[in-house]
Amino acid sequence: MKRIVLPAMLAVLTWQPAIAAETPPPPGQPRDFTLPGSETLELDNGLRITFIDYGIVPKVTVLAVVRSGNIDDGKSTWLADLTTEMLKEGAGGLGSEDIARRSAEMGGELFVGAGGEQISVGVSVLSEYASDAAALVAKVLREPALPEDQLPRIVANLQRSVAVAASDPGSMAAQALYEMLYPGHPFAQLLPTQEQLASYTLEDVRRFYRDNFGARRTHVYVAGRYDRAALEAALKQAFADWPAGAAATENPPQAGTALQVRLIDRPGAPQSVIRLAVAAPDPTQPDYLAFTVMNSLLGGPFISRIMANLREDKGYAYSPGTSLSVNRRAGLWTFDGEITTADTAAALAEVYGEVERMKSAAPPASELSAIKNYRTGLFVIGNSSANGVLGQLAFADLHGLPDAYLTTWVARVNALTPEQVRDAAAHWLDLSQATLVIVGDLSAIETAVRALPQLQGATYR
Amino acid sequence: MRHKLLARGAVLAATAAILGGGCASTPPPPEPARAVVPAAVPAGLDFSVPVDYFKLDNGLKVVLSRDATAPTVTVGVYYRIGFRIEPRGRTGFAHLFEHLMFQGSANLGKGEFNRLVESNGGILNGSTRFDFTNYFEIVPSNTLETVLWAEADRMKSLAITQENLANQQDVVKNEVRGNVLNRPYGGFPWLSMPQYANSNWFNAHNFYGDLDDIDSATLEDARDFFDKYYTPSNAVLVIAGDFDPLQAREWVDRYFGRLEARPVGPLPDISEPRQEQERRVNQVDALAPRPALALAWHVPPRGTPEGHAFGLIDELLLQGEDSALWRRIVQEKGHAGSISGGINLLGNSFNYDGPMLWTVYLIHDPSVGPDEIIPDIDEVIGRLRDAPPDPAALQRALTRIRASLYGLAGSSTRFGLVDLLASFALFDDDPGRINRIEEEFRQVTPELIQQVAREYLRPGNRTVLVLEPGAAQEARP
Repeated sequence: MKRIVLPAMLAVLTWQPAIAAETPPPPGQPRDFTLPGSETLELDNGLRITFIDYGIVPKVTVLAVVRSGNIDDGKSTWLADLTTEMLKEGAGGLGSEDIARRSAEMGGELFVGAGGEQISVGVSVLSEYASDAAALVAKVLREPALPEDQLPRIVANLQRSVAVAASDPGSMAAQALYEMLYPGHPFAQLLPTQEQLASYTLEDVRRFYRDNFGARRTHVYVAGRYDRAALEAALKQAFADWPAGAAATENPPQAGTALQVRLIDRPGAPQSVIRLAVAAPDPTQPDYLAFTVMNSLLGGPFISRIMANLREDKGYAYSPGTSLSVNRRAGLWTFDGEITTADTAAALAEVYGEVERMKSAAPPASELSAIKNYRTGLFVIGNSSANGVLGQLAFADLHGLPDAYLTTWVARVNALTPEQVRDAAAHWLDLSQATLVIVGDLSAIETAVRALPQLQGATYR
Repeated sequence: MRHKLLARGAVLAATAAILGGGCASTPPPPEPARAVVPAAVPAGLDFSVPVDYFKLDNGLKVVLSRDATAPTVTVGVYYRIGFRIEPRGRTGFAHLFEHLMFQGSANLGKGEFNRLVESNGGILNGSTRFDFTNYFEIVPSNTLETVLWAEADRMKSLAITQENLANQQDVVKNEVRGNVLNRPYGGFPWLSMPQYANSNWFNAHNFYGDLDDIDSATLEDARDFFDKYYTPSNAVLVIAGDFDPLQAREWVDRYFGRLEARPVGPLPDISEPRQEQERRVNQVDALAPRPALALAWHVPPRGTPEGHAFGLIDELLLQGEDSALWRRIVQEKGHAGSISGGINLLGNSFNYDGPMLWTVYLIHDPSVGPDEIIPDIDEVIGRLRDAPPDPAALQRALTRIRASLYGLAGSSTRFGLVDLLASFALFDDDPGRINRIEEEFRQVTPELIQQVAREYLRPGNRTVLVLEPGAAQEARP
């Protein structure tokens, strides 16, 4: 990515407050923002390294992202999580305590985590330890001991986490949602069963590691302040002879298009947890940006329509909102709310109403300008720390987006018209194809929910 | 106000990702400010926080800290009134009041503060803690004057209606339901432990609020609370980031300097008596599938050598996977997948001013009870009471402290930095302390650590909270 300057990105917005005796002083002339630069190398084995040199404090993050995760679980849900947790238990002659101490001596803590499509191993340390951090991350990735005697403990930890997650209404709703949305895909099962976890053997873990870890799937990001030449040499030495391994799995989940509903009873619950979801664009699709801006306007910040309606006007909920979550080549739009039990059906009706309004009329120019400013402001905040830039680049890399994705982002947002924003809603938010889950006290909510006109013809599952 | 009073992830959080993902549509939460500062670092990497501190005639404290790396600026207004200090019969009032500060002031109607900030490219929020309530914005730097005007407007006067109050009562009750009542481990242990471990009502009440108390609040309560505690002399304004120092100062004078000085209301005695006897409490959580255990000890006064020694004890015993309790409880014994906690579960060891607890907690399996786990914890703690700490472990603790301060200063939101500057200004009248804190920690001797461990990690100074799982039949996915 080239270093570019985004000139005067914010349209200055002024308006007359309703009850003003004195008006706010308007913003001054915006200062240009220089998008931090980065540089990417590719080694012969396919491993990529991105250098981001940014910041005022002497710290650096070394983070390796492996293109694997639950997408490679097959039917062995959370095998990716189990394998990833096992990485910390020893590597290259170091025990788990050695790894923890080495990380702490550098001012950091080794982070490992498995997501749907990315497994991360990294550490943030004081700058003087950049090369040591690179060596440690490489050791953990390339030479994990995967010690058999630790497996039962790690399995028990995951079983405990699953039991706890399964008792949380938000996780319960998400679990049901994915099960209905993505049947047959690894993402359909958000949480494994206790028995599944208990059945995993060290051989399963070794196989997952063997099949899914390798240079070709790995992208190492360094971000912060560091001695570039020394760190580059350390990274090349640590990774150059890692076998390429297999290519990343391409298996985008496809959301169902039938109107389906699941009501999960939680007698006495004071709130209903609602998830309403439908397929949405991923970042490679032409109307992705219009859709995300539409989504912010609909259910993002305080000034968004759903916050203004459900929270600030009705008091039905504390933090209702909509979100767009994207996997590679698959997006999902979700409304998410924790609603007072008595207001459940009324709140849902308001959500349907706001979506309909979004689809049927282009937003007023002033409302859209406000949201564009909000998003470009967040873009600057998100890109003004080393780790923030790292996150943006890793996102772009996962989705295979060109450099121009970030360098032209602000200009493309500012060019969006009210009609494009409306059209993005109209094209994607067909709620007659949505999946709805409500976790709540069914004796109090079921009749009113089932009577909603938008749910006539739904399949209850 | 949108964010929970507490970042509720503590118990249920999946691993905190370094990876940021794409473009957030909601404000990032303030990062937990943990610690501290630089000392000897290699030439060229030295770093200290610029601090310009002054007071206006009306008593308002002002801290400016310039860093023009990016064209953004963070503004924090901290009032020295937290949830400890709220009227009896009005539990949760300080937090409800925080919500009201977004509902209208002299020249801004309901929702207009939010609109002013967000529509100009900023994010904002507020939060209520033990000894302060804060309001903060991060905005493009060209919006600084607008934001200062708006913060001054609501410091000057609150203008809310009965309708707005009722609306926010509903919102706050939904916040409490979502974060506490409708979820397993909802108040564990951050909300419940202080109620058991403290004796003084001000430290021991439900500071998120009983729903009936939240409903009882009146407009008159709000006016009274505002008059007593939301005065310029009871607040600090912090501006950190990209600004012109002279210009910023002129705006501060123009918008805040014109606010009238007002006397601050009286504060009750919040001291806690020395605890002599261990307390043990059993609590049933009807929604929880697994048992949990929390232990808490009263800590030495904040900011003293003993307080710093306890800060290092926290690092040695509990922070990081190299810490003594993690090694024993998680790694060796396998009692839990993690052991968590710290000084001030709703913040850090700097951002409070009064009695405080050090809390340790974990979720475990029914096959291993508290009577097996507690002796293991005692054994680890006992080592620190019997002998000074291992020098290598102490060095790691100091390194961690330095690294976490750098993390605050390097954050693009600067929330953690603003929080430390505000705390040192409010509670110590000395925000420059941010640049001396690491040295204060370095002066703590191994002997003092042992001495503090002997006095404060006494069994008699401890409260044990046993959470029994009411939903013990395994939740089946």
